[in-house]
Amino acid sequence: MGEAQIAKKTLLGMVPADSPFYRFHPVGRMALLIFLSVTPLFIDMPEVNLGLILVTLGLLWWGRVRMQQVRRYLPLLVTVAIFMFGVAFLAPGNRTALTPIRSVGATFYFEPMWWAFVSYCRLIAMLFGAILYFSTNRERDTLVALRSLGVPFAVSYVAALSLRSAGMFMEDFKTIREAQQARGLDLESLSVVEKAKLYTMYTVPLFAVALRRADEISNALFAKGYTLSGRPAGGGRRTDYLRAQYPVRARDWAVSVGLVGAFALVAALSKTTGVFSDHLSPLRAVVVGMVAAR
Amino acid sequence: MSVPRTASVGPSGEAVWATERGERRQPGIVHVVMLALFIGIGIVVGTLGSLAVPIGFVSAFWPGQAVQAVGGVWFGWWGVLAGMFFPFISNALSGSAPLPVSAAYLPANFLQSFLAGAAFRWLRVDPRLQTSRDWFVWVVIGVLLANFLGAFWGTYVLTWFGMITASARPTALLGWFFGNSVPSLIFGSILLKYVSPMVLRSKAFAKGWWA
Repeated sequence: MGEAQIAKKTLLGMVPADSPFYRFHPVGRMALLIFLSVTPLFIDMPEVNLGLILVTLGLLWWGRVRMQQVRRYLPLLVTVAIFMFGVAFLAPGNRTALTPIRSVGATFYFEPMWWAFVSYCRLIAMLFGAILYFSTNRERDTLVALRSLGVPFAVSYVAALSLRSAGMFMEDFKTIREAQQARGLDLESLSVVEKAKLYTMYTVPLFAVALRRADEISNALFAKGYTLSGRPAGGGRRTDYLRAQYPVRARDWAVSVGLVGAFALVAALSKTTGVFSDHLSPLRAVVVGMVAAR
Repeated sequence: MSVPRTASVGPSGEAVWATERGERRQPGIVHVVMLALFIGIGIVVGTLGSLAVPIGFVSAFWPGQAVQAVGGVWFGWWGVLAGMFFPFISNALSGSAPLPVSAAYLPANFLQSFLAGAAFRWLRVDPRLQTSRDWFVWVVIGVLLANFLGAFWGTYVLTWFGMITASARPTALLGWFFGNSVPSLIFGSILLKYVSPMVLRSKAFAKGWWA
């Protein structure tokens, strides 16, 4: 029999509590989100973005995230690729100004197809950055990161409660569906339209639950003396439990500043020198050579 | 006594938005909590909707717009804020758009959340959709206009990020418009018709923009 493991429930699944990610403060993990999911915006060179995707996959593996969690994005990666390359093929733009490539009985145009590839690599790199963050962080980690960065109480509270409530509503959604299945609902036998109709009907009880929950949570906060400003109703300063519980060490600051600094450096280099332009891509040179040789 | 149903300005609509003599309304913790919970619902509805019928970056079925529209109607600016920010998370979770693209969608999400709320308040429309006038304002402004403007900006963002070519924009605009409008019309109408009576009785309902 396998050994029982303590796991943390993140927004996208479960991660072992001894994952190396948890050796770093949530502020550092948020800095990693910024680095991985925003940096590709400044990079057109597909090799660099493909490298970032590999780094992110490596981090998911290193962080002991179940790859099954990530595999469910596979159909999406395929449909997005079909969509982008399909659009570039069907509506390439002004054909007279483009380089035609005749292959498999059809005419493709190099420039829109290449740009679709560049954009696809960039978007997938950005998406994987966000998937890594939501796979390895709980809503509490987001709250700790925001509080440690000094974000006002109301803003950090709303952000954390939003993520928490998404998890709660997901559970409610499952409960409603299981109740229907217990009464004989057979999801397999339903058509897509019937499933869509059913899905619409799920949301009415979800909203009713939300209204009741809003009352309960606001009454609880009021009873505990919380105000919109985050200061106690009687004046003075409230002890910041989370900041006291999760101190940011020098190593965490170094990691966070390093990641945000690396992001700023890439953005500045991209804007001033164009070093990440797709025109400097070795892959592009190879493809252009192949097109010219045809 | 039943509420008379007329095609002119709905008396029930006037009653919903009018403040009583001596009635004081100000934002409180319940609105902040409702904002957070509404973002949570939006995340669930938006994520499941995008995953249900994914066609690249233009979902053929995105009921999230219905949540945006009814949020603005019921909770004023709190609902508009929720409608602007929940797509950041739901798009990332469903894989339909990364964070920078969601940031670029903000004006579209603002319009999709704000227009129905503004129309209902300015034209004194009953959120329970009691009269033909209520339905007209909801369908024309809350669904068709909001989604057209949202699709117009959204497809501009798709072109900007290289996800579609400029010549594919009209087709993508139509796809976006119908992909949002149809579920929004069905799903939003059900929510307004059946959930509004509960919301109108709750503390979180905003007669004005903030409370």
